[in-house]
Amino acid sequence: MTPGKIVYFDNAATSWPKPPDVQSAIVDYLENVGGSPGRSGHRMSIAASRLVGDARDALAELFNVDDPCQIAFTKNSTEALNIAILGWLKPGDHVITSSIEHNSVMRPLRFLEAQGSIELTVVPCSPETGSMDPDDVRRAARPNTQLVAVLHGSNVIGNLLPLADLAAVAHDAGALLLVDASQTAGAYPIDVAALGVDLLAFTGHKALLGPTGTGGLFVREGIDLRPLARGGTGSRSELEYQPDFLPDRYEAGTLNVLGLAGLGAGVRYLLARGVDGVRRHEQTLIARFLAAAATLPGLTVYGPPDLAERIGVISFNLAGVSPSKVGLILDREFGIMTRIGLHCSPAAHRTLGTFPDGTVRFGLGCFNTLCEVDYAVTALTHILEDQRNGR
Amino acid sequence: MAGKKSRLDGVVTFYASHHAVRAEKVLTKQGYRVLLVPGPREISPNCGVALQFPYAAVEQVRDLLIRNRVQFEAIHQYRLEIDEDKLDRQ
Repeated sequence: MTPGKIVYFDNAATSWPKPPDVQSAIVDYLENVGGSPGRSGHRMSIAASRLVGDARDALAELFNVDDPCQIAFTKNSTEALNIAILGWLKPGDHVITSSIEHNSVMRPLRFLEAQGSIELTVVPCSPETGSMDPDDVRRAARPNTQLVAVLHGSNVIGNLLPLADLAAVAHDAGALLLVDASQTAGAYPIDVAALGVDLLAFTGHKALLGPTGTGGLFVREGIDLRPLARGGTGSRSELEYQPDFLPDRYEAGTLNVLGLAGLGAGVRYLLARGVDGVRRHEQTLIARFLAAAATLPGLTVYGPPDLAERIGVISFNLAGVSPSKVGLILDREFGIMTRIGLHCSPAAHRTLGTFPDGTVRFGLGCFNTLCEVDYAVTALTHILEDQRNGR
Repeated sequence: MAGKKSRLDGVVTFYASHHAVRAEKVLTKQGYRVLLVPGPREISPNCGVALQFPYAAVEQVRDLLIRNRVQFEAIHQYRLEIDEDKLDRQ
């Protein structure tokens, strides 16, 4: 490795670097497009509308959504999840979720539960692999179950949940399946039609390679959610009530056009490279790390051993060294960026038995290399040796 | 120097600009020469953007929009007076 080089292993928090087209799309909007989408009829406004429409179309292609207008843009996954959860549930409803959820799902659900508004069942996942048994969900279902809300890929354990089976169970119970795809959108193929997903929340700034401040919610046709915010949409301006059609129903206020310009470019990069290709690349990185990790005494890697069950999120701990110290040494001495601690997911760490100290997390991305993985293994080997030698 | 042009066209009006942009994409892909234009106020109070197309193709245009599930408000006959050089041409 070149001295001073940064190894960015925090793609699970936000991806870096971005494809060059992302930056040029953002600059092009600022320099040449301008305009507010959907607010005027002049050419600059139309150009901005096209830009937003192109981003929507690219995402619809990526997730196999028939009608791109069923995707509403938000500022991140959290906002999308809040629209879905707060907009769908009514007092007296029952919700099923997993014990490895990020706070973006857990907090809105706990908020409604604490208000006495909903009943919540948290289905325990495996402490070893994070896996969730759809039969457990089936057994937890009640006559008033209206929502099964789960993540697709864990931001702590790195395992995948079986969405197609969970969709079937949810639908048998008369409930919708809401999926938090924050860690998988762009890194793992997602076909909402084939999987039977009713609501899919995604963020733009992780594996979709866009900038922060972008995200969205896919809403299956026929599902009506109460909007979280109401306001100007540029459409039906003669009415003092929020439009009932998508995406305007959930897009009050001027969109983040700058960010969506970048997001569109990020998704088009992925469509050209192929999410399957990205997935294969990340699997070779994961396989390399897991194989090396198995030979290092004192290194505990969490999550499923099966590559097919894993995304590029790898949590681990080193015996005798706190996660925060490992993270600091990796940054200061080796230039490796990681995320340590609880990763906004206390439930997942309780499931894993790593609460409250947490873990060190590698978030591998589509631009990481085998060479960087090897370098990280060398770095961990050094830290473990220093620990054994009392340094 | 382009001047005023007057001709009988079809104009599709929409509730939202997303739909107008979608319509443009669908119809252009099928080889129709269409233009997004400022929506004539006397036709529709809505999103400000309308789609102009050769009226002779009205049935095909309607069919394509419906088949591609592009929402629109209405299709009008309209005698458009436009400055040719102010048109947006993509």
